[in-house]
Amino acid sequence: MNTQTGGIQQLLQAEKKAREKIEEARKGKQRRLKQAKQEAAAEIEAFKLEREREFKAHEARILGSRTDSEKLVQEETRQRLSELSGSVRQNKEQAIRRLLTLLFDVQPRLHENFSRGKM
Amino acid sequence: MSGSGLSDADVERQIKQMMAFIEQEANEKKEEIDNKAEEEFNIEKSRLVQQERVKILEFYGKKEKQTELQKKIQHSNMKNDGRLRVLKARDQHLRDVLTETTQRLREIVKDQGKYAQLMEGLVTQGLFQLLEPEAVLRCRQADVHLVERVMGAAADRYKRETGRPVKLQVDKQNFLPPDSVGGVDVIGRAGKIRVCNNLESRLEQISAQMVPELRYILFGGNPNRKFMD
Repeated sequence: MNTQTGGIQQLLQAEKKAREKIEEARKGKQRRLKQAKQEAAAEIEAFKLEREREFKAHEARILGSRTDSEKLVQEETRQRLSELSGSVRQNKEQAIRRLLTLLFDVQPRLHENFSRGKM
Repeated sequence: MSGSGLSDADVERQIKQMMAFIEQEANEKKEEIDNKAEEEFNIEKSRLVQQERVKILEFYGKKEKQTELQKKIQHSNMKNDGRLRVLKARDQHLRDVLTETTQRLREIVKDQGKYAQLMEGLVTQGLFQLLEPEAVLRCRQADVHLVERVMGAAADRYKRETGRPVKLQVDKQNFLPPDSVGGVDVIGRAGKIRVCNNLESRLEQISAQMVPELRYILFGGNPNRKFMD
């Protein structure tokens, strides 16, 4: 009788141990999934920071060159203005003479429909 | 114990076997669970990361496009400012030319011979435009005598070409403003019709019509222009 109950006890204990082992594995699985979330969050954060850094570099590069392109445009304008002044200086006399010529050239003209008979 | 059946040793052996079996099953189950856990861990982690990655990339992609757009707008504004400055300069140059022309004119009208000839033409032109039997001539106070000298010839020409006589009179009450450059206004119907042939007005009309040609003379042609007719 003793051996029988002893044997049954052993089996029951083995089963209990087995159940506990499986339960432990299940809990481990839950922990692992939680870890997945945490590790994912950390990776995402790291990625975001890196991308932000890239963006800032991009921004600095593009908008930073503003003063350069500003100088270029101003130089271009300055050159055009100077060419303009030069051209005017050269041709001003011709323009003035043209105006004065026209001004002194008076051409009195009768209307094309005018007839010498009474209106 | 009983005589038939299993001995104690057999029972013990069987029990040991059963315990080993139970343990083995538990280990297999645990391993199954552990493997599943790893698998799901990897899937979930990469799913979450990928999901957010896509959003982040899209977000920064848009932001970078905005930056580029901002730059383009800035650049365009700068170029526009430049072009405006050039246009304003051209405008100013034109006005300077007109101012200088006016000054030149003031000098030229001091030549009485040239001025008299001009004046006769202006009066005649005024009469041709007016086509009235009577007209009043308004000039600078200093030019009154000059106008009286030439108006006869103008009236004669008018009569020759129209067949009509005209009565002319210099306005001795009202004159062109004292700083006027010269010329003469020919006025009919008691002030209701006026031919503005004073030199300021004449220059104004001429320059308004001549702007395209003046631009061509002063600034050169437009290299981008395709049609000239």
